[in-house]
Amino acid sequence: MTRDDPVKHLFLWPAFLVVLAVAIFPLIYSLANSFMSLRLVPPIPARFVGTSNYADLLSNPRFWQTVRTTSLIAFVSVALQFMIGFGIALALAKRVKGVEFFRVTFLMPMLVAPVAVALVARQLLNPTMGPLNELATFFGFPNLPYLTEAKWALGSLIAVEIWQWTPFVILLLLAGLQGLPDDVYEAAELENASPWQQFWGITFPMMLPISAAVIFIRIVESFKIIDTVFVMTGGGPGIATETLTLFAYQEGFKKFNLGYTSALSFLFLAVVLILSLVYLALLKPWLEKYK
Amino acid sequence: MSVRNLRGPRAWIAFALCCVWFAFTVFPLYWVAITSLKTPPDVVGGPTYLPFVDFQPTLKAWRELFSGIRGEFYSNFWSSAIVAVSSSFFATLLGAMAAYALVRFPFRVKLLSGVLFFVLAMGGFLAGRYWLGLPPATASILSFCGALALSVFANRLALPGKVMMNDDIVFWFVSQRLFPPIVVAFALFLLYTEIGKLGFKLTDTYLGLTLAYVAFSLPIVVWLMRDFISALPLEVEEAALVDNVPYWRIFFEIVLPMCRPGLIATFVITLAFTWNEFLFALFLTNSEWQTLPVLIAGQNSQRGDEWWAISAAALVAIVPMIVVAGLLGRLMRSGLLSGAVK
Repeated sequence: MTRDDPVKHLFLWPAFLVVLAVAIFPLIYSLANSFMSLRLVPPIPARFVGTSNYADLLSNPRFWQTVRTTSLIAFVSVALQFMIGFGIALALAKRVKGVEFFRVTFLMPMLVAPVAVALVARQLLNPTMGPLNELATFFGFPNLPYLTEAKWALGSLIAVEIWQWTPFVILLLLAGLQGLPDDVYEAAELENASPWQQFWGITFPMMLPISAAVIFIRIVESFKIIDTVFVMTGGGPGIATETLTLFAYQEGFKKFNLGYTSALSFLFLAVVLILSLVYLALLKPWLEKYK
Repeated sequence: MSVRNLRGPRAWIAFALCCVWFAFTVFPLYWVAITSLKTPPDVVGGPTYLPFVDFQPTLKAWRELFSGIRGEFYSNFWSSAIVAVSSSFFATLLGAMAAYALVRFPFRVKLLSGVLFFVLAMGGFLAGRYWLGLPPATASILSFCGALALSVFANRLALPGKVMMNDDIVFWFVSQRLFPPIVVAFALFLLYTEIGKLGFKLTDTYLGLTLAYVAFSLPIVVWLMRDFISALPLEVEEAALVDNVPYWRIFFEIVLPMCRPGLIATFVITLAFTWNEFLFALFLTNSEWQTLPVLIAGQNSQRGDEWWAISAAALVAIVPMIVVAGLLGRLMRSGLLSGAVK
């Protein structure tokens, strides 16, 4: 049925206008600013500087350091989220004992405010008052510097990301697993395929499209990480755990270097876009192979 | 019993691993709950685990929190609640309207007119600033309105190039989620500040924060609601059309009630996002409309190791969402949402 009525514009335009004015236009505004030298403190008149903000950033080792840190956190935590999440989703789909109970409780972390999660993590990882270090001491390990040494701090951030976002992976993969047809498995059973063969021969290939989507969403979202880092380490020790968003926040809100920050956020956007394109390009042959 | 179910020792291994993950999931939540019941000596003297065994629970931290000795707690709680609920409501409403339009009516947007909007908005802004010497807010408002009007007009002309259909428009909405929010949060902060200089205050106001949240929830709402609405049967609407019922009544009296399960699910997802949101609140508010996550993030530097008080504050942010999730799970089981699953 094709209906056409001018009233359709009344339905679409409110949402369209809000997104255009509050999400797209600021983007354009920020792009315009990124070609200018613009400071609030000390206030200097804006002037056009072309691409020099971008050139400055690209030669700034701190920028590359934050790109590395953000990518490391995103890739490692998403890889682990996916592996753990797939395992748990499989167990739930195969109706492990207590499935109803687990299905509800496993989703909880996803709904907790990231800043609250980070505060709880700080308590748990506290060197003198936290239970984790007491456990470590009990087993004869030294007091571990969870948040004050670069490697441990990164590891702690990744652990918190896994705690919070594995539920999201479980939720989507479980929905996918429940949608798989039974007859393929019945046929495999008749052929005496082992569970291991069934997983790699049937489940994994059939789950590939949804897995690809879940990993994509998680990586894009992980690149935006700031709340947990802001509260847990503040980017420290030094700048060892500073992520891209936190770097932009520091430049924009502490130094009020507006043109520079705008350029930085556009480079950030470029990093995410390049990453997405590479990911989709790498994935394409795999998705087609199993089509 | 399906062939896919686990049997024998495998079932027990899976169960044991699920229990391990359960412990990992619940322990932090358990820890924050018991810490909020501890006295300062119980916290500082090293970890204690079991209430009544290891330590004597007390409601001191909660009493202090609710009596408001420690700053403007109520104000943050209410601004969080008001902003989260109302922005989820408006996002769901506007998103459902847009999704309805995109499911039921054909739209054609020419790619070239979109490009025109981009070029005119940016060019107009730069021209306004440099050649006409306008202040940034005036320049941006004028260039936005001008670019919008001209590109809507251009869309009616016979432009060459790709024509974007409904699916492309949905993709346009959804692709907003790809952008790192810091790009927009920072620009929005600058824009709000500049507009504030014209005498229309947007930073640290209800309107400013709600607008940002609505815009950032809309992509996901449009995406979810499109699926829910396209699953609805057409017959009822067609019957109403034959009777000359106007479209707005069809939408509010037939379509919305029919996809109520989808609306509730979408609302709850949006609510969880807006209640927990940190970055926009950090940029766009500072005192009056500061939300709970920003307050909680500041606790650590303000209070050092007063974990009992910090835990109580964190729980206030955590508990409402757990309750909401529980309600949603209940609704799903009771069959209210069964329409969405069909």
